[in-house]
Formats: sequence, structure tokens, C-alpha cells
Amino acid sequence: MRKWYNNLDFYSLFIWIALCACGMVAIYSSTHGEAQEFLLNTVQNSFQRQFLWLGISACALIVILSIPMQLLVRLVPWVYLATIGFLILALIIGREVGGARSWIYFGPISFQSSELAKIGVLLVAAFVLASRMKNNSVKHAGLIVAGVLGLPTLLIILQNDLGTALVFAGLLPILLLCGGVPLRIVGLLIIFPVAGYLAALNWQAALGFTAAVGIIAWFGTRSRMWMAVGVFASGITIGTATFALQHVLQPHQVARIESFANPEADEYRANVGFHLVQSKAALGSGGWIGAGFRQGTQTQGRYIPEQSTDFVFSVIGEEWGFVGSILVLLLFAALMLRLICLSRRIDHPFGYLVVAGTAGVFLIHVGVNIGMVLGLLPVIGIPLPFLSYGGSALLTNTTLLGLALACYMRRAEFSLYV
Amino acid sequence: MTKIRFTLYCSTVILVLTTLSFQLFRLQIAERQDLEEIAHGNSLRNIRVLPSRGLIYDRYGTLMVHNVPTYTIALAPKYFDRTRIPLLAKHLDVPDSVVTRRLQEAQEYNPYRLYPSFPNVSFEQYSRILEDAHRLPGVGWDIKEKRYYPTNAQASHALGYIGEINRKELNSINLESDSSLYRQGDFLGRTGIERGYEPWLRGIPGVARRWVNVYGLEIMSYAQGQSDQHPRGNYDLHLTMDHRIQELAESLFVNKRGAVVALDPSDGGIIALLSKPDYPLGPLSEGMQSEDWQALANHEEQPLYNRATMNLMPPGSTWKPFMAILGLSERLLGESRSDATIFCNGYHPFGEGRFFRCLDAHGHQNVVEAIQNSCNTFFFELARRMNLGVFQEYANRFGFGLESPTDLLEQTAGFIPDSTYFKRTQGRLRTGSLMNLGVGQGDMGVTPLQLARYAAALANGGTLHTPHLVSHLSDPETGEWIQLPDSRASIDLELDTAYVNLVRKGMRLVMEAGTGRGSQIPGIPTAGKTGTAQAPGGMTDHSVFIMFAPYDNPQIALAVQCENTGGGSLCAAPIASLLAELYLKGEIVPSSYKELRMRRALSATSQSLLQETQ
Repeated sequence: MRKWYNNLDFYSLFIWIALCACGMVAIYSSTHGEAQEFLLNTVQNSFQRQFLWLGISACALIVILSIPMQLLVRLVPWVYLATIGFLILALIIGREVGGARSWIYFGPISFQSSELAKIGVLLVAAFVLASRMKNNSVKHAGLIVAGVLGLPTLLIILQNDLGTALVFAGLLPILLLCGGVPLRIVGLLIIFPVAGYLAALNWQAALGFTAAVGIIAWFGTRSRMWMAVGVFASGITIGTATFALQHVLQPHQVARIESFANPEADEYRANVGFHLVQSKAALGSGGWIGAGFRQGTQTQGRYIPEQSTDFVFSVIGEEWGFVGSILVLLLFAALMLRLICLSRRIDHPFGYLVVAGTAGVFLIHVGVNIGMVLGLLPVIGIPLPFLSYGGSALLTNTTLLGLALACYMRRAEFSLYV
Repeated sequence: MTKIRFTLYCSTVILVLTTLSFQLFRLQIAERQDLEEIAHGNSLRNIRVLPSRGLIYDRYGTLMVHNVPTYTIALAPKYFDRTRIPLLAKHLDVPDSVVTRRLQEAQEYNPYRLYPSFPNVSFEQYSRILEDAHRLPGVGWDIKEKRYYPTNAQASHALGYIGEINRKELNSINLESDSSLYRQGDFLGRTGIERGYEPWLRGIPGVARRWVNVYGLEIMSYAQGQSDQHPRGNYDLHLTMDHRIQELAESLFVNKRGAVVALDPSDGGIIALLSKPDYPLGPLSEGMQSEDWQALANHEEQPLYNRATMNLMPPGSTWKPFMAILGLSERLLGESRSDATIFCNGYHPFGEGRFFRCLDAHGHQNVVEAIQNSCNTFFFELARRMNLGVFQEYANRFGFGLESPTDLLEQTAGFIPDSTYFKRTQGRLRTGSLMNLGVGQGDMGVTPLQLARYAAALANGGTLHTPHLVSHLSDPETGEWIQLPDSRASIDLELDTAYVNLVRKGMRLVMEAGTGRGSQIPGIPTAGKTGTAQAPGGMTDHSVFIMFAPYDNPQIALAVQCENTGGGSLCAAPIASLLAELYLKGEIVPSSYKELRMRRALSATSQSLLQETQ
């Protein structure tokens, strides 16, 4: 008799454990160093609390792996409804933490509704897209998926948690790519953020990108219309972004966006550029092999704000150096590529999309978070999966991984019940 | 998933992570040095470590000046959590409003830097704050040292006080030497040996490299402290002063102005150096309030003025042994010299006996008798016979009219007149003026230090030593002795031993059967000479006394000046006698004789300067 776990992907599970371990080491170092006595009591307990959340997450993982696929699929609409419900509840009774009104408190337990929403949103998006794929009618799937993603995204924007909203926006092209929606539509969706990013960075690059879009669109589609659409989309984004930066946005918002390219400038250094200057300085002082466990001067001196949450990668960079940082990047690469490979082996579109989509969620988080820590992107507050301090995020990401592994493990059950 | 979509997806993942890796390489490897500089600028501080200021010991190793810690609590308002105001206020035992006000002051100075808002907090307050440091971000502390004077001897003018360096001194010091030597807020010696031995007492500051956190608090040492430079070059001073003698001198000088200098005749070491009125050093060294300082500086009795080395008055009859040496050496008494006599009729015939009076009609007086009886006529006559140029040359040989080589900084040269002076003031050198010089009155001024040095030279048979307070230095860690590099020349006056012995004999007789009779030391033969210096403006005369003991093997030589207290035997002599007895015996043997001298010393009072002005 085959054991239930025979199809479990231990390879992914090992990477999960390794990433969580890296996170625990970084959090321990930033809260139990030589400078521990200077920390607030609440911060000093971070490690212990994260450890507790790791236990909760592991339990959640086991529970998810033991749910039959039939039941899991039936739960999807309810999970989505519960997600929307929580998001609305947070807007009504939630508390504001760090500017975002997304926290719900149940006595001593608190969680971030926008973080947990990722589960429901991914499941229902995969569900909707999968049903279209089965009927071979993916043509307008883009609009439906956008609608399914749109409602929670809107609620999260209302909560003022722009980082998480950005994750959902980024998830759309990835799901559409996997869902078989025509590539020109996926490409069109990618044009907007890239053009906007380049417009804020420098205008020569933005113009070059627009030209490249035109050329690729022509050779990709051989259609004058799509080429025009691509160039227009890029141009209008650049125009809008430039106009917004100069005339619409408040000076502090402009500074926040523009400072990432040059945080050392005198006008940014002490305020909006502070995070990035400190983060880069910490990484730079790490060098090849780093300062060593609990020896990073910037970490121990708490020069980087949010160093155990959003900027946890700077702790790894400083104390474990280039070698340690690359190792973490390799672990993430291995996890994502492994999930993408696993997804191809699942015949059922729902299971396939959940696994591929989970890889996409991780990709967006890793790219945006580390890009921000390394000064490639503006400061956007989203956590690094499995490493950043924060119970809701750890639970959410572990749950997503658990769902992906469950879909792969029980891939044989799909044909029977769905 | 089609192959092309799979490839696109995987390529995107690889592209994103490769981009991140490149940026990581750029930051951690390519731009490492620049970024590390920023990181070090954030968090690496070179903290100057001041050496502990040298301690000062007396002749027998009793600690006279040492350091005690003072604790300062500093605030950096930018990092301070204002909800902690009540906690900090509770620890400092002050109302919340005081903390709020000090925060405001610190804010105005620099919100990002620690500002010494609460100086001189107690050790208990300091420890409470240290224990709660993690709840008090933006609160720093500093431990400094202040001077503490454990003995009862003030020795204000000898030891001197320290004070905070001012802008002008800082500029001039930093022009000529390393700028890390002194910084704003440092203390330096202002007077006395604190100033004279400043480089040895202070030493050279070291550097400790420390990692600090975002609040500016030290979290760990850099490279395990291997690149730290320890402070060095600070030495303890060992004085020739005997704190018991100093203490007794100070206690005997109540209600008196004046000075005492006691020397070791064998090497010139200063056993006691007193100038009264004096002042406590502690408040001055801690930094005095401006109004207190003004009161001290402007007091009519001038407590800051070092009478021991600066006060000029005529030596009075204490000058007579000097005149005797001069007379004998210059053969003013004729060829027979030692037993030649001059007849005293109660006055000197010059001026028909109206101006040059003697105390008594002494009859025929030889040198010894003249000193013993302090016969004015004898010394008037000697002076009448002398040449003013020779007089000045001898006075200078004995150190009068010149600044003494010494480690005491402030002193005056004194005044020995020459013929130019008399020509300028009186048109010509009058015989009367010359004769006045013979009994130590008139137009001349000597300091107590010069008198003591001269007494020491008489005591040791004619060697003039350099008076000094510091005998040697020692390294506070190794205890190793370091002799001072400065030259302490001793000058042989090349006096004829026979003449010196005659003078000494006369001085011994002063103590045994002359004006010093009431100020002998029981069991120890001594030699001395009283003097009465005329005070200008109708004030009471000054009491002057020089002395050395024991007679055969002198170990202490003293000069005492009491201003406006009357004749030499009344006040100065008993004080010198008590000091010498304590020094030689280690105690003053209780007896009625002790009581007598004590009573005379203590009951004498200086005529008030205020009465004179009223």
C-alpha cells in the first residue's frame, strides 16, 4: 500500500524549512545581539513570537495536506467570501498599524487581513480561470480574473495597504500567462508597470523601452494595430507618470518615488532616502562573507528601520555577506522553479494554476522586497516570504505552499471528483 | 502549460533573481568600500579617553589630592521617548517639568546629540538609570572625575586649582600642539603645581573605538579593542610638603594675614607654604559660580594673592645676620673682625641720636652680641661703612631682588635698591637711607620665600638651594619613579665658614637669651632672628621671623611673616617654633610651654584693613 505522503514533494518542503531557518537566524540576531538591552521589550520578544507562529504554520501545513481535494475545491468559494468579509471587517473594526488599516484583533491574537486575503484570491482566481480553460474559452478570461482580483484589491487599497494591492496587480499577468490567455494581452499588462517604473527612473530609458515595445509587438504579432496599442500603452503610461510626478502628486510622494534611484542625495538622505541609505550601507559592509552572526554593526546598532520585518534581507546581507545572500536567492529560485516544474505535471487546470500561481506570489514578493532592500525599487512595504518577521505573512505563505503541495500530492484525485 | 509559456515563466524568475544578484554584487563587492564608509560613519565612534589626572602625595605618601567620579546624565531629544519623562524624572528625583525643560534646552543645542542635561547626579540616581537604560532610549551618561582634597590642609596657593579650559586657551594650545590634547570642556591647572606640572598630571588622551547604535550609545568595541590607544603619560606627584605642618600652620594663622615658608635646608624642598587668607580648592576646581568668584577675587584681603612668594615687605631685624656676613666678609669691622666691637650708646651718633635709635644702650658689641641683642647701632654703623654696590651684590647672591629658580609659578623678584634708585627718588644717596638698609628697613622689599631660602642657607653653612614643592613623579601603574628633568642647581655662596658660624652662634643666642627666648623648642637647640617690619600708613608693624633647627644638624628652616600684628617675637616666632617642633618631633609635647606659645600664636590678630580705610 502506498503511503499518503509518497507524492509529497520533500524537495520543496526542505527549501521551506531552510528559508524559515534563515529567517529565524536573522530575527534572532537582530533581537538578541550585544545591543539587546537597548531594545524595547516588545521587540525583544520577536524571536519567540515568530517561533510560535512557525509552529502554527507547520500545523496549518499538515492540516492542508490532509484535506481531500474534493473538499478543498468545494471550500474555494467560501474561502473567497470569507476573505472579502474579513477585508470589509478590517475596514470597519480594524486597527491601523504602520498607516494601513488592515489588522483585526481577536483578543490577544491579531492578524493582517490583507495578508490572509492572498490565499482566497489566488484560489478563486485559479478556480475561475480553470473553469474557462476547461471550456477552452480563455479569450475573455482576462477580464473575469481581473474582476475577481479587482474587488479585494480595491478593498486593500481602501485599507491603504498599497504594497499588498500591488501583489494582486502583479499576479494578474502571471495567472494569465499560465492560463493560456494570448501573450499579447499578457505583454500589454506588463508594459504598464515597466513603463511607469522607467519613467520615474529616467526618460531616455523610458523612450528606449517604448521603441523596444513597438519592435517586439511587430515581430510578435505582425499586426500594425497591436504594435500601435503597445507603443500607445507605453507612451501614455510614461506621459501620465511624468505628468503625475510633476503636477499631481504631493512633493513628499514624489520624493518617495524618486529617492530610490539616488537616496544619498542631501534632500533625501535624512528622510525618505534614510531606509535605503542605511540598507545599502549595511549590505555593503557585509562584503563577501559578512560580519558574522550577531556581529553586524548596522544590524546591532539598529540603523535600518524595520530590520526584522521588511528589511530583514539587509540583516542577512550584513551578517552573512554576499555568499549568504546569494544562498538565500538560490533557495528562492529553486523553490519557484521547482513549483513551476511541479505545476506542469498536474493535468487538472485548477491544481496547475494554484501551484503556478503560488510560484508567482513568491516571485512578486521576492522581486519587490529584495529589489527594495537593494535600492532598485521605491520603498514598498511588503514582506520577504518565510524570512520577514510577521505571523500573518508566515502563515499565509506557508498555507499557499501547503495548498500547492497538496494539489501536487493529490493530483490523481482531480480526475475523480472534479 | 505550453513549452513557450513555461520557458517565459522560468526565464522571468531567472531574470528577476539574476538582476537582484547583480545588484547584490554591485553593493557588496564593487561598491563595498564606499558603503562601508557610510556604515562606519554611522556607527563607529572614536571616543577620547582622558587619563586620570595625576594624584598628589605629600612628603610621607599621604594623599593630598585625588579624583572622585561624578556622574552626568545626557539627553538626545530626537531619540528620547517623551512618554518616559515621568520615569526619568522619578529616577532623578526631580519633577517632570524639570525634565521637560532640560529636554527643551537640549533640543535647542542639537536634537541628535547627547547634551549633558543633568550634571553631578548621585551614584544611586546614575545606577537606577543604567538599570533602566533599555526603557530610556536617547538617554546617555558620562562619568567624569573631579578633584577631591582629603586632608585638612588646604594648601590653596601651593596646590592650586583646576578650571575648565576657555576658548582662547584652547586656540593657543591647539596652535602649537596636537588638537586632541585639549577639547572644549576639559580642565587644566590654573594655579600652583596643578598649573606648573600640568603636562605630567594630565598626560596624553587615548582613543577608544566603539560601535554605537542609532541612539549614539556604545554597543561593542571595535576589533576587540586592539586598535584602541590607551591614555598615557599621566604621573602622580610626590611633594616635599608635610601635610601636618601645612595643616598646623593654617590653623595657627586664624585672624591673620601673612605667609609661612618652611624649607628643608639640605635640598630646598618646601615643607610648608602658606599664604593667608586662603580659600578652599574644591569649589574652584569644580567650576565656581560667577558671583562667588567675583567675591573671592575682589575681597579686600586678597585671598587669591600668594603672599608667600609675592608679598614684599622690609625684612626688619631678620636682615641683621645678612649684614653681619657682609660686614665680616668685606672687612668693615677692621682686621680683627670677629671680636671687633662697635660701641652702642642707645643711638647712632649720625643725626644727633634723634633718628637712628637703638632699643637699649648696649655698650661694646661684637658681631655675636649685636645679633643676639639685635643692636641697631652696630648695624647702622656697618651700613654706614659699606658700599651700596657691594650691598646689592651680596643681596643678590643670597637671592634677594631676584626671582628664585623654583617650581612655584607666581613670584616677585623683590626689591634691593641701587644708587640709581636713590638718585632718582632723593637726588643723591643719603647716608641715612644707607644706614636704614643696615637694619632691614626703608626702601627694600623681600618675600617670605626669599627669607626662608636665606635662612636655609644660614642653616646649611652657605649653600643656596632651589626651593621646590615636587620631589619626584611616579608612574601610577608601575609605581616607577621619575626624576624631573629640570635643573635644580644649588649655589655655593663661598662664605667663610668661620663667619657663618659667628652669625649662627648669634642666632642661637637670640633663641636662648634674646628676643626669641619665648619661642624655643624644648630639648632642641635652635637658631633664629626676630624682625619687625615698619608698615606704611600708620598701621601696626609686621611681625617677621626666621629660624632653623636643630642647630647642629638643621632639618628645617622657616620664614614667617604676620602682617600688622606687632613685633617679631609676638606672633611669627611662636608659630615658627610650633611648626618646627611638630616637624622634628612628630608632635608638640604637651606642656605649659606649648600652651604659652599656642596662646601667643593664636591670640595675635592682624589689624583690619577695613579699620584703616574708615
